[in-house]
Amino acid sequence: MNRAMNLFFMGKGGVGKSTAAALFSTFLAQQGYRVLVVSLDPAHNQSDIFERPLSDDASEISPNLRAMEVDQEAWIRTYLKDVHHQIDRTYSYLTSFNLEKYFGVIKHSPGLEEYALILAFEHIQKQYAQWDYLIFDMPPTALSLKFFALPSLSLVWVEHLLALRQEIIQKRELITTITLLNKEFQRDKVLNKIEAQRVQYRKLKETFENPEKTRVYLVLNPDKLSHAESLRILNSLKEINIPLYRTVYNKKPVNVACAQIDPVFANIPMLNFPLSDTPLIGMDALQHYLQANQEEMENQLKVC
Amino acid sequence: MIRILKAMKNKFVEFLKISDQVARSNAVQTIEYEVEELENIFGVLVLGSYVGMPSPPMQISLDLMPFMEKELILMMEKVDTATQPLSQLFSAFDIG
Repeated sequence: MNRAMNLFFMGKGGVGKSTAAALFSTFLAQQGYRVLVVSLDPAHNQSDIFERPLSDDASEISPNLRAMEVDQEAWIRTYLKDVHHQIDRTYSYLTSFNLEKYFGVIKHSPGLEEYALILAFEHIQKQYAQWDYLIFDMPPTALSLKFFALPSLSLVWVEHLLALRQEIIQKRELITTITLLNKEFQRDKVLNKIEAQRVQYRKLKETFENPEKTRVYLVLNPDKLSHAESLRILNSLKEINIPLYRTVYNKKPVNVACAQIDPVFANIPMLNFPLSDTPLIGMDALQHYLQANQEEMENQLKVC
Repeated sequence: MIRILKAMKNKFVEFLKISDQVARSNAVQTIEYEVEELENIFGVLVLGSYVGMPSPPMQISLDLMPFMEKELILMMEKVDTATQPLSQLFSAFDIG
């Protein structure tokens, strides 16, 4: 049983997704929850914020807090190596040999970036299923949206391919029955694989759409460009049926009322992270910020 | 006499079996052609990116690829006959 809650921090580049994710993780860990913060952004910032080198293996930051940075390239390499190995096992030598040249360029194919993130996400979910919170610091908007849309889009293809494959198998069985009077049929490996893909994408889609498992936080600053992109993110998430859980107003000047900043986000509960006087780098700075804004942060975060 | 009758009976049974096989084979000839076409369509759909066709997300093709050697070879064979669709059709319906 997977009990870990997935929290995703999205937003325009530079709004403070990584800082908000780090603050959130530190706060939740202080409250006694077991928290893993994961950077899915290829331009990793978590190692700079926590001031220590991070890798694909989670490092301990504090007693309840671990952090890791997903190596996207490594996930693509491992995945392709696995496919290549399977082809070598199942194909005749000549066909396998002829495909060799394609694998050099496949790693640069569009779509593999987000799939690498999906594979990493699935792996982390399985490995840290018993933790309380998995906090994901997301990549720039375009890649984040592709990541969230991948299960829905893939399902459209998978359903279509499944129907076609079933038609082929039905006709093949008819031929076997007429010609050989044979009613024992071998299970089709392609059909098995398509069905496995359908299970995988349905599970992912269900995870992303379920507010009990996934919460998306949209980080934005009080400026026009950040709002414009946030609005596009909001609409894109709506299209793929993923609800936005909270907006996080980061770097909010003290005297600006949020409701006046943008009425579009008025219906979505909002968290305010006040502008910090000092750079939020290092565990001490994060803890100091949480202490200085203790009452406000606790009121806002304890309900999250 | 009995031996002759037995031999005739065996020949007759053999004739019936062969006729049955021929009839069954004729009955499925068109379906076999249809299945081959469907398999080719499936191959082109899944592995189309290798011949410049629109294709599903890359990971779907790659996940299915290890199980699709037959479709891949069929696709390549179809390329050879793609320029003679009419002769292929006539052959499928046993015309000429």
